[in-house]
Amino acid sequence: MLIKIAGRNLWRNKKRSVIIISAVSIGLWAGTFLTAFYNGMIEQRINTAIGKEVSHLQLHHPKFRSDYDIQYYLPDSQKMLQTIESDSLVKIAAGRVMLKGMIASAAGSSGITINGVQAEKENSLTKLQSKIIKGSYFDAEKSNEIIISEKIRKKLKLEINKKAILTFQDKEGNLAAEAFRIIAIYKTINAPYDESNVFVKNTAVDSLAGIPNGFNEIAVLLKSNATLDESLAQLQQKFPNTEIKSWKEITPELGLTVSVADQMTLIFMGIILAALAFGIVNTMMMAVLERTREIGMLLALGMNKFKIFIMILLETFFLILAGCPIGIILALLTVAITNKTGLDLSSYTETYSSFGYDSVIYPSLTWNQLQTVLLLVILTAFISALFPAKRALQLNPAESLKK
Amino acid sequence: MKETVIDAHNLSKIYDEKTIPVYALNKVHLHISRGEFTAIKGPSGSGKTTLLNMIGGLDEPSEGFVEINGTNITELKGNELIDFRLNNIGFVFQSYNLIPVLTAKENIEFIMLLQKRPKEETDQRVLELLKQIGLEDKIDKRPQELSGGQQQRVAVARALAPKPQFILADEPTANLDSVSAENLLDIMLKLNQEENMTFIFSTHDQRVINRARRVITMEDGKIVEDTAETVIIHKPK
Repeated sequence: MLIKIAGRNLWRNKKRSVIIISAVSIGLWAGTFLTAFYNGMIEQRINTAIGKEVSHLQLHHPKFRSDYDIQYYLPDSQKMLQTIESDSLVKIAAGRVMLKGMIASAAGSSGITINGVQAEKENSLTKLQSKIIKGSYFDAEKSNEIIISEKIRKKLKLEINKKAILTFQDKEGNLAAEAFRIIAIYKTINAPYDESNVFVKNTAVDSLAGIPNGFNEIAVLLKSNATLDESLAQLQQKFPNTEIKSWKEITPELGLTVSVADQMTLIFMGIILAALAFGIVNTMMMAVLERTREIGMLLALGMNKFKIFIMILLETFFLILAGCPIGIILALLTVAITNKTGLDLSSYTETYSSFGYDSVIYPSLTWNQLQTVLLLVILTAFISALFPAKRALQLNPAESLKK
Repeated sequence: MKETVIDAHNLSKIYDEKTIPVYALNKVHLHISRGEFTAIKGPSGSGKTTLLNMIGGLDEPSEGFVEINGTNITELKGNELIDFRLNNIGFVFQSYNLIPVLTAKENIEFIMLLQKRPKEETDQRVLELLKQIGLEDKIDKRPQELSGGQQQRVAVARALAPKPQFILADEPTANLDSVSAENLLDIMLKLNQEENMTFIFSTHDQRVINRARRVITMEDGKIVEDTAETVIIHKPK
């Protein structure tokens, strides 16, 4: 009987029911899509960081990362690299000579990180060549070539084929300087990275830095992120005196970004759920107030308060039941479409790239995330329905019947 | 001696007790026996509805108490009181107050379903009542598809269905035309006689008063005349 009354009550005021069904659908859609959007953004950032910036694992001298001093290079670097490359879990590994220094032109100078890279391996590791927007990649025959970013080019008013001076300290602490010819300009989606990184061949700087054929960094790209912990443990066993860090430890800012994104998702979800709750409380409260006389009559006839409470909750439940599938279908459709086409936010490119994000986001969603959003929406709707239901319980039959 | 169904003792309902007390009901004593067909009349504000609300357990008296078949309902609270009403009292309201989303049949069986009566018994009783009120052909009609008179007949059948101790009807004919009102009174009198059902009305309607076997007159919250006692209890000033 309660189910019958609650079910039929839904269509007494179609406009009101449509409002609640829409609120639940939109809430669910918005919550799900927002989660998928942030998910896509974070996944993309992590993939970019691993695939194009830091790789899965990095090996350094235990003291190197504290002040980036070249004297803390990896002993037996070449042998170490060969051992790593022979590991079946490793896709590719490349050695680097990392130097903190200055780049100077006639227009000025700028503090930078000089990446002395193994040209071919580096390209396989970080797709460096694909980031070039002007010029060509390193020539195996030539030395003293440099690839700078578009940002540095603009700042120092440099052009292709012009020379820039790199200055840095060698292993002994002496100042070393060398002129490099600009062969290419690169651009990534990570503006802070572009502002502070230049690329030269490792052979062009290792001797100058005092570590011929040596590296102070080996970057390792695994075949799968799933074997990260396993590979880390294996390498730690093989090279006990070497600092080996995963991408999570190397880029703590990425962890922070993930956590900020999670918090942002929570805040936006909170706003969406609060709006949903507000809508449901108001609409159901209207439903109760409009039916004050009827509820008074039900109380008078002998319908106890628990049943009236359940009747109001059932009405909300039916509305949620109608709203949820619509919201879920809409959300899944939107996520499926945007996951293929991508969401082009190119009008905000500068803003996004300054945080290391691409301007095209591919929203993605896991089943667990969908379940969480669904659960939150249903919970919010039920909690919101408690207030109007409680209001119904406070009615006095004699007073209500006068209305 | 007739069995007493309702026994109201020294009933008062006072509003604004702390400032200027207004007596909606003032020390009323009333005894109703089984099978009575009683009309309570009086001008607006005389306390008719308040008295019915007290007897029906819809409102609490400021003083005094009401006994229904020996149970002091004034002491009952919350769901206990609601359950008591469910099992003992039938209500008919001035504006019918049927459940708009239920059909005539569903409205009539509503209370019996709340009482969890067996389906067979409920179905049989509903059909019997629909026949008695002459609405067998309107069984699946919703209230908005029925006339005012038909709705009130359904409301009477709903009140009667679970065979309560008595039926309280607050101005049941007030919204009906004369034909519908007479028709309804015929039905209620017939049910009163056939089922020995006790009816208590509050009314302004002379037609109801004329057909009542007992008439109680109220003024300013007091019973000033009761034909059962054939004497004026309290003369108005």
